[in-house]
Amino acid sequence: MQVFLQTLIGGVTFGAVYALVAMGFSIVYRTMGLVNFAHGSVVMIGAYAASTFYMASKLPFAVAVVVAIAVTALIGLVIERFLRPLENKDFTLMLIGTIGFGAVLEAGAVLIWGATGHAVPSPVATGPIDVAGIRIPTYSLLVIAVAAAATGLLALFLQRTKRGAAMQAVAMDHQAATAVGIHVGRSNAMAFAIGAGLAALAGSLIGPMLYVNPTMGGTLGIKGFAAAMLGGFGSMPGAIVGGLAFGLLDSFAAGNFQEYSELVTFLVFAVIVMIRPTGIFGEATVNRA
Amino acid sequence: MHFTRFSIAAAALIALAACAPPGQQAESGATATGPIKIANVNAQSGQLSSLGQWEHKGVKLAIEEANKAGGVDGRQIQLDLFDSQGDPTVGTNVARKIAAEGYIAMLGTAESAVTLAMAPILKDAKIPNITSGQSPKLADLGSPFLFLNAPTSVTFDETLAKYLVDDKGMKKIALISNNGAYGSGEHDAFLNSLKTRNITPSADEVVTPDQKDFNANLAKIREQDPEVLFIGAEEVQSGLIAKQARELGIKAVFAGGAPVGTDVYATTAGLKNAEGTIVSSPYLSNEATPEIKAFAEKYKAAYNEDARMHVAKAYDGASILIEALKQTDGEGGQKLADAIRGVKRAGLLGTYNYDANGVGIHETKIGLVKDGKVVPEAAS
Repeated sequence: MQVFLQTLIGGVTFGAVYALVAMGFSIVYRTMGLVNFAHGSVVMIGAYAASTFYMASKLPFAVAVVVAIAVTALIGLVIERFLRPLENKDFTLMLIGTIGFGAVLEAGAVLIWGATGHAVPSPVATGPIDVAGIRIPTYSLLVIAVAAAATGLLALFLQRTKRGAAMQAVAMDHQAATAVGIHVGRSNAMAFAIGAGLAALAGSLIGPMLYVNPTMGGTLGIKGFAAAMLGGFGSMPGAIVGGLAFGLLDSFAAGNFQEYSELVTFLVFAVIVMIRPTGIFGEATVNRA
Repeated sequence: MHFTRFSIAAAALIALAACAPPGQQAESGATATGPIKIANVNAQSGQLSSLGQWEHKGVKLAIEEANKAGGVDGRQIQLDLFDSQGDPTVGTNVARKIAAEGYIAMLGTAESAVTLAMAPILKDAKIPNITSGQSPKLADLGSPFLFLNAPTSVTFDETLAKYLVDDKGMKKIALISNNGAYGSGEHDAFLNSLKTRNITPSADEVVTPDQKDFNANLAKIREQDPEVLFIGAEEVQSGLIAKQARELGIKAVFAGGAPVGTDVYATTAGLKNAEGTIVSSPYLSNEATPEIKAFAEKYKAAYNEDARMHVAKAYDGASILIEALKQTDGEGGQKLADAIRGVKRAGLLGTYNYDANGVGIHETKIGLVKDGKVVPEAAS
């Protein structure tokens, strides 16, 4: 039982981060019908930015995270601006463009921070909480709380604000949205900026749990992408459920299948996606291809 | 008319083709007096790049010294760096490239998996390779062109098992290792050493090299409450395991090979969590002997950072290669491989005495991590 609960805690913590990554994928896909392959690299830039401001500039961790979100949101805007001329013209080129941006960001990180990477000390000094022999790291609680808060804020934005509603409208039918005077380009730019901001949040939160280095975006990107698929690409609740499900799947596979855990994780993932190709919360999403 | 055009074109083609062989001859003629081309292959990017960069600096230091002292037989050594990214596939591509471009020897890589992938190509091309990998599988290959500049995991882990079990009487030992080339080598070697002492580990968890969350594995280990947790993984992953183990309340002392003796391990784990980790390594500190001390000072002057085992290991490997090159007057191939095998050198990591499997050093020492640095066990 203890092993089960301990595994659960690890799975939920990493799952919360995967959910953030998946939400970033989904929000861009929702509005543009585009898979942003640079997303994993943006997660990495976010992790680097937050850890650098936190460690070198000695900013409080929360402030460093906010600065990192601002930096990556800006990167998101730049990526969208470059891709905008291709919108509705060449979808494949847009996809390749995002892959190219991913490579550029990784190379940029090597140039700025070097290839070796660095360990980030935990911003929470207090030790783990012991509940009947189950140890819950305080930092895990922080990660879960921040991820939940970010999710709530995003939901509020999408459902309660005019800009959010406009983004939803573009996602549903961009031609009709244009007809009623919504600026599609601006809406797309915002989707990219929010997506990048979520990536930075995920990256900054996972930094102290891992080792920040230029290639860390690869694994996180793939896991976040798989989580988004599992939940139903483009669906926000799907990204959250998919992220948590993938985190738990990963964690339990590690405990039960040892060296075959990765194989089992992706095998289960493949079977679920075969049975339900649209994912758990599958809905009709934008397809401008 | 057509015929004339055709014959002009044909003549031109023949003339062009005829130019090629003399060009090649000129090149091979030049190699006897020109620089001796040595490839240094190591990860310069990716999670294992800290290793690759240390290794490169160590190699560079030795080659620069040799060049300053007049080179080999009056010829300079040209050292070219290739990035393997710590990836075996990239490694095999690099192996083909260096074979095609006339490099006569290779230094690196620091990763066993990459070295294992490159070895058959280098063997076919008769290019001697001095590697920093230490998987027992490297020695098992029995390639006459592959040399290790450190002991294999078998030696590392036998020393460790001897210290833990024979000297300290610890018997409740748990294992966690990854199934990569290095990790599985460590796992098998340590398990063997325990077996010969009639000890069955209380837990034996295997993880994947990319795994980041070890809660499930460590929770199982915690149930056994071991005295020692043996970690068989690379620097960063070892650090993550140690950190998560302490967060889970595992009190066992950590033990492992060279990776747990690095500052990457200590900072990733957190200095407090890494404290007291038992390290088996042929190179424990920069102050161990006057020779090592002098080397560490020289390195600090050159790169403004502290020397460490991987630097020393690479420096030893490069020095052995230089010594062998002097014996063959810069000639490569089988002659160079034989010369490397014959080198007896009192290096920084110990006395090199190559056996038939290409293993040069056959013993390690025990150290303990104090404040993120390794100190010899006897002095602690």
